[in-house]
Amino acid sequence: MSTPTAAGADPVIRVAGLHKAYGETRAVDGVSFEVQAGTIFGLLGPNGAGKTTTVEVLEGLREPDRGEVRVLGVDAIHDPDALKARIGVSLQTAALYPKLTVVEVLDLFRGFYDGRGRSTDELIGLMDLGEKRTTRTQDLSGGQRQRLSVALALVNDPELVFLDEPTTGMDPAARRMLWDVVLGLKAAGHTVLLTTHYLEEAEVLCDRVAIMDHGKILEEGTVEELVSRRFKERAVRFDTIDGLPDERLTAMPGVTSVKHENGEVLIYTRDVAATIGAVLDAAEALGVEPANLGVRRATLEDVFLDLTGRALRD
Amino acid sequence: MRALLLLTVANIKSFTRDRAALFWTLAFPLIFVLLFGSIFSGGSSERSIGFADLDKTSASGQLKTAFAALPNVKVVDGTEDELLASMKKGDVSTVIVVPVGYSATVAARQGPANVAVYTDPSQSAADATTRQLVGFVLSAVNQQAAGVPPAVEPAFKTIQTNDLTFISYLVPSILGMSLMQLGIFASIPLVADRQELILKRLQATPLRRWQLVGSNVLMRLLIAIVQTAIIVGVGSAAYHVQVAGSWLLIGLLILLGSHSFIALGYVIASFAKTEDAANGMTSVVQFPLMFLSGTFFPIDAMPDALKTVARALPLTYLGDGLRQVMVDGTPFSPLWVCFAVLALWLVACFGIAARFFKWQ
Repeated sequence: MSTPTAAGADPVIRVAGLHKAYGETRAVDGVSFEVQAGTIFGLLGPNGAGKTTTVEVLEGLREPDRGEVRVLGVDAIHDPDALKARIGVSLQTAALYPKLTVVEVLDLFRGFYDGRGRSTDELIGLMDLGEKRTTRTQDLSGGQRQRLSVALALVNDPELVFLDEPTTGMDPAARRMLWDVVLGLKAAGHTVLLTTHYLEEAEVLCDRVAIMDHGKILEEGTVEELVSRRFKERAVRFDTIDGLPDERLTAMPGVTSVKHENGEVLIYTRDVAATIGAVLDAAEALGVEPANLGVRRATLEDVFLDLTGRALRD
Repeated sequence: MRALLLLTVANIKSFTRDRAALFWTLAFPLIFVLLFGSIFSGGSSERSIGFADLDKTSASGQLKTAFAALPNVKVVDGTEDELLASMKKGDVSTVIVVPVGYSATVAARQGPANVAVYTDPSQSAADATTRQLVGFVLSAVNQQAAGVPPAVEPAFKTIQTNDLTFISYLVPSILGMSLMQLGIFASIPLVADRQELILKRLQATPLRRWQLVGSNVLMRLLIAIVQTAIIVGVGSAAYHVQVAGSWLLIGLLILLGSHSFIALGYVIASFAKTEDAANGMTSVVQFPLMFLSGTFFPIDAMPDALKTVARALPLTYLGDGLRQVMVDGTPFSPLWVCFAVLALWLVACFGIAARFFKWQ
């Protein structure tokens, strides 16, 4: 396991029966999962789901109440120091010396590892912080701080990278840049564990995701598996048409259910073509044309909604 | 070791970019030295002593000449009542009354003649200096009266070179106070780093805790050297305060004292959850230490209840030790006691911090 690509069949992370309570609150309540080498694994869930606590146990920063955690073949609970040179960590909130500049913080953190890893200039280029080289971190924007935090996670060119909500506070351009960086890590054979509450992010990046809520993993698999496991049908959607009652819609061929969302109608169906035909006929009979007609595959959002009964961003 | 040094450099950069920290550790003590120096060195350069000669003999005249010969002393004649009145107005700092029969008592060797010396203990520095001046003059007179040849002279020279003014009392005291502040102020960035999750983030690197603490201590020791240079340098350049004792002893006192107060800073950081709380607790600890440890006036001048408090405080012993070594100050405790008490505080604070300090 000296190089990330030589990891073999053993999982890079193996968590079994992890429990951690804070007083009465069971932050992590029996979590088990595995992450294979060279993959991107996503822990998905709303704030307070237990993602951060789980990740911090894996990073050796927090002692669980019980459970087993092996990271890179090391017992992360009892021997966390054996791990630290080999992992990279970006905390949920970027932790930066406020009075030091971008270059100074990077140089400092590089000094904690014995010489290996990436150069400061390389990291600044990678995270597009060139214009902020000599800016004190207290003067960076939220997104810039987050980028620097990710850069710090990469100073030692770690085999395994933990990114806790890495794109929080980033604008869309910065977010896409970070996605490229994460995909680049995977291409170079590194393993990434990230937490997010952006489903789109998980769909773009993650080979496998685990959906967490109230300290438990509700479902785990590839995005494709999670979606098709729950939703065999797809959805036909269009802007709400007055005078077209739900009874007419549910009676259409292949339709299983009908939903209204933000002024649009969602018709879940097993037969997309027949349903669209029926919708067009019904609209024509009313003398209108359905606006923004389209077909939507179920997403992780739908999976989450179905699992928890609430939207992820609530 | 490299990580420790890099972190020390990072700490120093953070420190020098923090105006408040710079002010409290470097400018504040400097202002104290300059402020008190300008107030009290002016007073000591021209000291008026009221001299009420009730005896009016050649012996009492000699005594007056002896006082008038002291450097920077002006002798004012008058009656006892007149002089005490002008002392209350502040025109003279001391009144010496030579009683009728003084010369007869001295000549007849009938035990000590009583010379009354009025001083104002609230003017502690002037008081201390006056007591010394009077003491030296009278001992010279006593020795002359006993017929001892002028072996007295060299002793008198000592008082001229080592002219113990308030400012020479103050320089080691302010150095001690500054080291105290430097140490306990360690709590504030420490709590801030914990609050900002920097300590947690560092825990995810191979950096060890001893390196983290070591870099903190190292940085503060380096600043202590700068503080010492500034305070002693200004004291010497502006007010001719000379360092009498061994620099090795001074260095050891600074080293031990800094460690004790940094450990006290870690104790504060163990109980303060936020940076604001650390600020408040630091003030609560700092001011009693500043005023009850003999920094600005000798502990002997304190009421007994406060003396008991002073006896327990670490700054009492750091200040006392520094005064003893630097300017031959009158010992409050023997030097080894100073070292022992500071070491005791270090051990106690270290134990408390080790037990209660939280890294996250």
